[in-house]
Amino acid sequence: MKNAVISCLHANLAAVKAVLNDIDQQGIDHITCLGDLVGYGPQPNEVVELIRKRAIDTCQGCWDEDIIEGLNACECSYPSQLAEKRGHLAHEWTAEQLTDENKNFLAGLPTSIRRDRILFVHGSPNSQHEYLLPDMNAFAALERVEKAGADILFCGHTHQPYVRELKNGSIRVRLKNTSQNNAEEKEMNLPMRKIVNAGSVGEPRHGSTNATYVIHDDITEEIEIREVTYDVNQTCTAIIEAGLPQIFAWRLSHGFEFAEQAEDASHVCER
Amino acid sequence: MIERWALVSGLKGDLETYEVIQRELKNTRAVKTLFVLGDMVGPERNCDALLNRLKNPIRGELQPQCIYGWWEEQLLAEQGFRGEQKADALRLNQGEEAVTALLDAVDPSHLKWLASLQFGFIELDCGLIHGSSANVGDHLTPETSPLILLDRLTRLDVNRLFTAHSTKQFHLELAGGELNSQVKDLNGERQYQQKVSKQSIIGIGAGPNYTIYDVGSDKTQFLSAGGQCNTSGNGFA
Repeated sequence: MKNAVISCLHANLAAVKAVLNDIDQQGIDHITCLGDLVGYGPQPNEVVELIRKRAIDTCQGCWDEDIIEGLNACECSYPSQLAEKRGHLAHEWTAEQLTDENKNFLAGLPTSIRRDRILFVHGSPNSQHEYLLPDMNAFAALERVEKAGADILFCGHTHQPYVRELKNGSIRVRLKNTSQNNAEEKEMNLPMRKIVNAGSVGEPRHGSTNATYVIHDDITEEIEIREVTYDVNQTCTAIIEAGLPQIFAWRLSHGFEFAEQAEDASHVCER
Repeated sequence: MIERWALVSGLKGDLETYEVIQRELKNTRAVKTLFVLGDMVGPERNCDALLNRLKNPIRGELQPQCIYGWWEEQLLAEQGFRGEQKADALRLNQGEEAVTALLDAVDPSHLKWLASLQFGFIELDCGLIHGSSANVGDHLTPETSPLILLDRLTRLDVNRLFTAHSTKQFHLELAGGELNSQVKDLNGERQYQQKVSKQSIIGIGAGPNYTIYDVGSDKTQFLSAGGQCNTSGNGFA
């Protein structure tokens, strides 16, 4: 069976509709969403209501959490004070716009969804705020999947879609100072695991304006990264009309989210 | 011999043991620094005398460099120094009596000092933490998955991690290995190979069991207060 995995919708209704339409056209009726339904974009209620209406299995993203809990990430999540200020503006605007019903829906989302040996999270099994970038330390990446007891980990948050296969690994350890002369040694063979990042529907950061998502065939184990065009100008106009920072429209129209990724992407905010 | 460190943890109010260790360190060559990796307090006995001594060392003693440990974390949480958190882990594991005993064991006048202590130290290329970079209660032993050990080192970007929470004494070296990965994205496919560099996790022990670390030679010596030298640390189970 084929499953579609979408993430980081960011209140961009035109992009969400286009992606759902693309999924429907392929006859896929099982969709999983990795959160960040809101934030930055101009249609938070419309997007949440569409996800609710379609009864799409969804886990909570960092924006969904922050809207409910109050800003949970510290300034470490932003590359500059200006970016942080813009992020806070978007947060306040979104919190004002969202209906109580939609807030309750976001509050009730699980932080992860598990299907046998497949785990779905927004950021990482550690935190909704942790970025699993495609070039992060391979051992650390494998640890995230192993710790979660999964064979395949689906995540989002980076807005960059990728499939990373971790394989043919081993670690050799030596216990020193256990006796006068001999050191004990053992080797651990590492399992093969996969991390799949679904990219972003509503705010791509991979160098194109197209929305991205992935399709997983659980029989062949193949994963396809899909790009979908949508009416970017429609969302950009709505951003400006809503009074959100114009730079959100500018970066969306250039297909690259220049801001809002901290210098140290591996940092996990403890706040 | 450049410099040697003494590493102590888990005293839990035991001033007598601390004094024995201090006396032994006076006779140990080249020990320049004493690190106390937390668990200075505990519920078994009154801890005020030890805390006073750590804060005010007597002449001729090594000045202790202290960080907080799991027991301090529980105490500070219960006393309102950790936001809305309470001593939930202690309460869950040992019950309400243990929480009460811990509160009784430490005079509130010490709380401000305890709250000012850091989570860990970075010295040279070494991380010194009660548990690990992931959690003050992280229980690292020679049996812990090497993948987890490597993750804890990677998070801190250090070559050696000194840990205390497991109370075990061991010196485990990540001696080699590799991991291949293939990344596919919209730009195509790339192959990576990551090697394990030589890094170590060192369990320093607790209470009377402490560790001397020779910075220049990367050698550890596991000792026990009262003169016993634990020539062997803990092996693989």
